Amino acid sequence: MFHKKKIVWLLLLPGMAGLILFYVAPFIGGIYYSLLDGTFQNNFVGLDNYRRVMQNSMFQLGLKNTWELSILCAPVIWLLSFLLAAMLKMLKERSTAFRNILLLPYLMPSSAMLLIWLTMFDYGGVINRLVVALGLERVVWLDGVALRVPVVLLYIWKNLGFSVVLFASALSAVHPSLYEYASLEGAGWFTQAFRITLPQILPTAFLVFVLSWVNAFKIFKEVYFISGAYPSDAIYTLQHFMNNKYAKLDYQDVTSAAYIFAVGVMALFALMYASKAVRSPDKA
Amino acid sequence: MHTAHRRRRHRLNRLSLGGWIAMILLVILSALILVPIICTFLYSFFPTSEIKAWLGQRNNYDATRWMDVIYSPAQFSLRQYYTILIENPTYLQYFCNSVMYAAAILLGQAMIIPLTAYALSRFTFRGRDVIFFFILVLMILPFQVTMAPSVMVLRWLGLMNTIWAVILPMCFSPFYIFLLRQFMVSIPNELLEAGMVDGVGPFRGFIHVILPVCRPILGAAAALSFADCWNMVEQPLVYLANASSLQPLSTMFNQISTEGAEVAFAGSALYILPTLMIYLYFQEDIVAGIQLSELK
Repeated sequence: MFHKKKIVWLLLLPGMAGLILFYVAPFIGGIYYSLLDGTFQNNFVGLDNYRRVMQNSMFQLGLKNTWELSILCAPVIWLLSFLLAAMLKMLKERSTAFRNILLLPYLMPSSAMLLIWLTMFDYGGVINRLVVALGLERVVWLDGVALRVPVVLLYIWKNLGFSVVLFASALSAVHPSLYEYASLEGAGWFTQAFRITLPQILPTAFLVFVLSWVNAFKIFKEVYFISGAYPSDAIYTLQHFMNNKYAKLDYQDVTSAAYIFAVGVMALFALMYASKAVRSPDKA
Repeated sequence: MHTAHRRRRHRLNRLSLGGWIAMILLVILSALILVPIICTFLYSFFPTSEIKAWLGQRNNYDATRWMDVIYSPAQFSLRQYYTILIENPTYLQYFCNSVMYAAAILLGQAMIIPLTAYALSRFTFRGRDVIFFFILVLMILPFQVTMAPSVMVLRWLGLMNTIWAVILPMCFSPFYIFLLRQFMVSIPNELLEAGMVDGVGPFRGFIHVILPVCRPILGAAAALSFADCWNMVEQPLVYLANASSLQPLSTMFNQISTEGAEVAFAGSALYILPTLMIYLYFQEDIVAGIQLSELK
């Protein structure tokens, strides 16, 4: 560890200059910009932009959908990745190959998967064959509210492995003697999973939940691939609103919407810091 | 004693009943996860006529008819690859754009990010924690939050609709500063101190002590960052809105594959291939890297 060396500022210079120019300055400048009226004179209008954006019906639709999609994705990913990590742990050293397969889609471009996804979810596609085999009616997946299913599944396909890896590393840190004792007492797999494992890894569980929630806001990518810039009302996200407002040069609306969004993300981020405090209460 | 020990090891290697159930479920799930990838590669070797006929069965809302399930081509064909690689250069042009962006961004990140992470992890100075906190915040913000102001900065710099609008901001990606910093913090102090006794200064300490130790995390960061560049959508859509010839494959792929659906599977397969190879090579490093991204 080097203390109070002047050279550190030289080392920091390139990175900080770029971060300030491309990230911090736009972030702070944007706050100022969102308070102007965007005309030639750039009058100061206070919170008018925010008020107008909040009343915009497309903004409300985007906010509602983003919220609903994230609240759909986050718990599913959280629960699935916990169960999968628990299963991986049971396989001990045989689990590596499975874990690597689960993580593989995380690096795959979703747009390359799109065509195969659309054929699978077609009215006459494989998924509907399964649906009929289960004795149900065929579903029109690629329209209306049902379109959320392929979108969410594509998102889960891509992002599940990330959470599994986080859970698996936390699970491997749980002391094995706890399980031996529990088996001696006759506790079954489910009892062990939810009575020993889950409490032991609670901080990680909390972190994964918040992370998968924050990341679920980025589901725009999958929606954009499946239905472009103007999707049906069921999957119109907040990012669509911002991108389309941007395309119409309504910069004030974009930035105002962005900061309303940012406040939401920041609230989750605060939760994450709280989770850090839960994990090490003595340090917090 | 010896046999008891062996019996115990034997038990450790054997799966319980629950283990077998878990194994079966995981095999099924892994197969399901791999199906879209395997099908993409399989279909890329189908003759174009067959793929065209098959895709033509889509969007038929007659409840008595199904799309065929195809798994074996009438005849093995490289026609799709021939079309996208030689006959029609559109695909290749965007593929090359993507390669160019990935290479430029990785190069830029290599010059900036390890150095910044080093300064934030191995030095104590006033304001360090504040800087780190801001990096965390920037890391978690969705791109759209700073989109419009970023456009104004880039326009002021005269970079809009040039390749630099996509490349330069990505070179300072906060996530990778965070990731490398997390790793460097955990390097034992003794390593650097041993060097300091020998009179190694901060810069040589970075090159000769820190960087070699960081090899696994650098591999993970490079692989993840490559995947990021290869899949980026939001940035080029906005920063290159009026320069479609500069777009990477990630934003143009849909359009290309609708125009030439009969060769789209070969396009997908080639598009996936680089990330697949990088994943196979770096998978252990990537797993370790993701474990580090937990806030500690």
